[in-house]
Amino acid sequence: MRLLPVVPSVLLLLLFMAGPVVWAIVISFSNSALTGRFAKDPEWVGLDNYTRLLADPAFPLSLLLTIAFVIGSAIIGQNLLGLGLALLFGRVNRTTRALVSTAVVAAWVLPEIVAAFAAYAYFADDGTLNQLLAGLGIDGPNWLFEYPMLAVVLANVWRGTAFSMLVYEAALGDVPPEISEAATVDGASGMQRLVWVTLPMIRGAIATNLMLITLQTLAVFTLIWVMTKGGPGVASTTLPIFAYQEAFKFQAIGYGSAIAVVMIVIGAAFSIAYIRALRPEAQR
Amino acid sequence: MRRTRATIAMIAVTAASLALIGCSADSGGDADTIRVVYQKTDGFVALDELFQKVKPEFEEANPGVTVELEPIVADEADYATKLALMQQSPDTAPDVFYEDTFRVRSDVDAGYLLNLDDHLAEWDEWDQFNEGAKEAGRADDGSIYAVPLGTDTRGIWYSKSLLEAAGVALPWEPKTWDEILETARQVKEASPDKVAFNAYAGKPAGEGSVMQGFGMLMYGTDDTLYEADSQKWVTGSQGFIDSLAFIETLYGEGLAPAPDVALDGSMWQKLFGEWFPGGQIAGTIEGSWSPSFWKQGGQYEWPEYVDDIGVAAFPTQNGQGDGAVSLSGGWTLAVGANTGNADASFDFLAMALNKENALEYNIANSQIAVRSDVASDPAYLEANPFIGFFTDLVTYTHFRPATADYPQISAEIQAATEAVMTGQMSPEDAAAAYDEAVVGIVGEENVTG
Amino acid sequence: MTAAETVRTAATRRDLASPRKAVASAARNLVLWIIGLSFLLPLAWLVLASIDTRPSQQARLPEGFTFDHYAAVLTVEGTLLPLWNSLLLSTGSAAITVVVAVLAAYPLSRYQSRFNRPYMYAILFGTCLPITAIMVPVYSLFVRLGYLDNLFAVTAFLAATSLPMAIWMMKNFMDSVPVSLEEAAWVDGASAMGTLRRIVVPLMRPGIAVVFIFVFIQAWGNFFVPFILLLSPAKQPAAVSIYSFFGQYGTVAYGELAAYSLLYSLPVIVLYVIVSRGIGGSFALQGAVKG
Repeated sequence: MRLLPVVPSVLLLLLFMAGPVVWAIVISFSNSALTGRFAKDPEWVGLDNYTRLLADPAFPLSLLLTIAFVIGSAIIGQNLLGLGLALLFGRVNRTTRALVSTAVVAAWVLPEIVAAFAAYAYFADDGTLNQLLAGLGIDGPNWLFEYPMLAVVLANVWRGTAFSMLVYEAALGDVPPEISEAATVDGASGMQRLVWVTLPMIRGAIATNLMLITLQTLAVFTLIWVMTKGGPGVASTTLPIFAYQEAFKFQAIGYGSAIAVVMIVIGAAFSIAYIRALRPEAQR
Repeated sequence: MRRTRATIAMIAVTAASLALIGCSADSGGDADTIRVVYQKTDGFVALDELFQKVKPEFEEANPGVTVELEPIVADEADYATKLALMQQSPDTAPDVFYEDTFRVRSDVDAGYLLNLDDHLAEWDEWDQFNEGAKEAGRADDGSIYAVPLGTDTRGIWYSKSLLEAAGVALPWEPKTWDEILETARQVKEASPDKVAFNAYAGKPAGEGSVMQGFGMLMYGTDDTLYEADSQKWVTGSQGFIDSLAFIETLYGEGLAPAPDVALDGSMWQKLFGEWFPGGQIAGTIEGSWSPSFWKQGGQYEWPEYVDDIGVAAFPTQNGQGDGAVSLSGGWTLAVGANTGNADASFDFLAMALNKENALEYNIANSQIAVRSDVASDPAYLEANPFIGFFTDLVTYTHFRPATADYPQISAEIQAATEAVMTGQMSPEDAAAAYDEAVVGIVGEENVTG
Repeated sequence: MTAAETVRTAATRRDLASPRKAVASAARNLVLWIIGLSFLLPLAWLVLASIDTRPSQQARLPEGFTFDHYAAVLTVEGTLLPLWNSLLLSTGSAAITVVVAVLAAYPLSRYQSRFNRPYMYAILFGTCLPITAIMVPVYSLFVRLGYLDNLFAVTAFLAATSLPMAIWMMKNFMDSVPVSLEEAAWVDGASAMGTLRRIVVPLMRPGIAVVFIFVFIQAWGNFFVPFILLLSPAKQPAAVSIYSFFGQYGTVAYGELAAYSLLYSLPVIVLYVIVSRGIGGSFALQGAVKG
């Protein structure tokens, strides 16, 4: 009876979180469609959607682009830039810190679609970036067309770095200054201090941050959709865009669900790694 | 046990509200409200104006029935997606909606459209619609499911001044694809910074990439997309590769708009609003509706178009066959299969398509009339100077394969043109990828070649 | 003065004394300023284009100053109704999430049970689920349940998607409220629900505010979920209406697009400032990230 208050949350989670996961698996075995005869009477097609996925040349490319997007924008971009900013913040005056921090956070606080518009205008052929380059005498390319992945990766770094920065700022704030200073007295250089003293002390925060930003980045849709619609061709079609295109443009709900199942599996793999790293029972 | 009671009440509320959500939706079953869903954009307001006008008239004639207009503000591709998303659930399916002819059969198969045979039998104006138009709404079972608003044909629109400047003799009447390319190169030579010739391609242009692009090429080759007699889709045809190769040449040599511009879904707005009026483009494949943008009161008013614009039929590949080719599409109004009030929905459709309204709409949107009383009306014939030319193109016109699979296959064609225009694939590879996708969609047994 | 402070003061003095350190410090500042500026540039476009008489895609000083773009977008159908819908969605899902999360967190925080561990695992797993990436089955499920185009169902869905994170944060906040106060109330015969409402909830008000605002901001900014699940224009929130605005006018109406974007962003900016200034930014993150 003591657990009764948990029930509303269980109901909601079962219906709207477990529901879609189970449903994704179920209809990924059907040829359910948005139009045509299979919209009315979908048939079971077994593993057809998965064999088609494996044979579809767009799938490995999409998977590769997703990995590139996650590694480039989250693991390298947001993570390292966020860490760098947090480290530098500890060693500059308060005004600089406040102003730069505000600029970085502003991009993160904006609704995703607004950030996407801003990034679109920035990278557009006659946008701000090319205007700047023209000022330096460089004739900039049409970024969204010629380097779509680079543009969306940079845009996602711009949008998401604040999260890593705040996490690392909080984590570094918990590192007792005595430790780092003791190392200084021992004659350790800045780099040595960072690698041997500071980083090991915040490794928990690093792990948590990496997991969270990886999963957030895996699910990014709006930013890419507004900037490139996954194009040109399929040059920036990550898995969420791929699933959307197949299900709603090419009308194949069953096939789109099979792609969703792949994303759920990737997410689950990360979750398990994450849970192992955190171990909730160690809390109490 | 106060704690338990409070908690149980809380759980009951959660469970009940989750269960009740489904019932609270105002479903398509409501007999007193007719939901009308259609597309509206900055450049396409003719239908919105038509419905705004019909709504009060209809409500007055049918006391107790309310018409709810739901314009979807989106481009063609997004509109199609939104409409399909609505149709799949009976709760959200509209009562009357604006439907592209090529989706009719596939949506009939899906059970989204109401069979109109009985209603049409009692409608005394149905005789006014020409036979071709009636076919547009017919499904595989022989019944009619949709009534066309108008139709269209396609040809070449060119700028007389730009062609003259490049030394091209007017009127320009290309007889083969090569003549188009030659002229385009000539224009490029004379004015390197202008668009020489545009054929739509790529996914963002949606169905336009097939109708005002690839399809105009494909239907002018010796091959076809679909064999109507054997009901099989054709794969591995040389015509398909040649058509893609034409697109590759056009974009590869910089005769067409830069691919990044062409892959912006709103390029057609630039074409009508800036390029033609500003003398930035020499020629394009476009539809008979073009004057609707330039005429007085149009989105991109440009009265001089009457003098500066020339038109020509689009040639077949080497001048074979009739020598010219055109494609026809058009949009219809249809009634949802799950409508709560079929009679009122059909009456609304019929009122929107009566002679007066059809005439007004056909003129406002520069459509080719499908009602004979409208087609012979002087107001229609005088509406724009090109209407006669494009009505005559009906002789050369082709219709898209009337099959339920077409919408999905069209999407694959769009993907193939995009792969070629961006240089990501050669015409041969893109054609091979298309062949594979077609087999995936219709199955090995429905493919030939 | 503690030993550590002595060391630190000495270190600071050395910083001031050494020219090499001064150069390094200037370099650090320079790097930060460059990063800050490059983060600001894309945002500057939003502000500048919204007041420019001749807006373009570039961030540049306005040719002329005008509020016309704001006046043009401030219409009932164009912006006010969508913003109202956004408010309903965001407030609704934040309220549902907070109530349900407080209820769920209480037994998890206060009682030991065989159920706790698997439930916390499930919650963690839910936190990791890329829910917006699986909108295809979600759409299909909504069709099957008859929930499509239903504001309340979408509100509940948004609440559910932020629930795992909210329960996690709420439990961490609740763990830091001492049990001793409740025990005193129990002795006086109060029920568990009564103590939760009268003692625990008031004590963790800042935590609840953080969760509420966190969910509100997420729902307010969500585009993909209402884009797929809310179909009639009258129900669409600002995130979706602004997108059709972008699609419709394409490359033309930059000023209005920027003006609408800023109007739409304003509430979340204000809320963020409230959280970070009023309640404390790192406090919020502690609840979220604390292992």
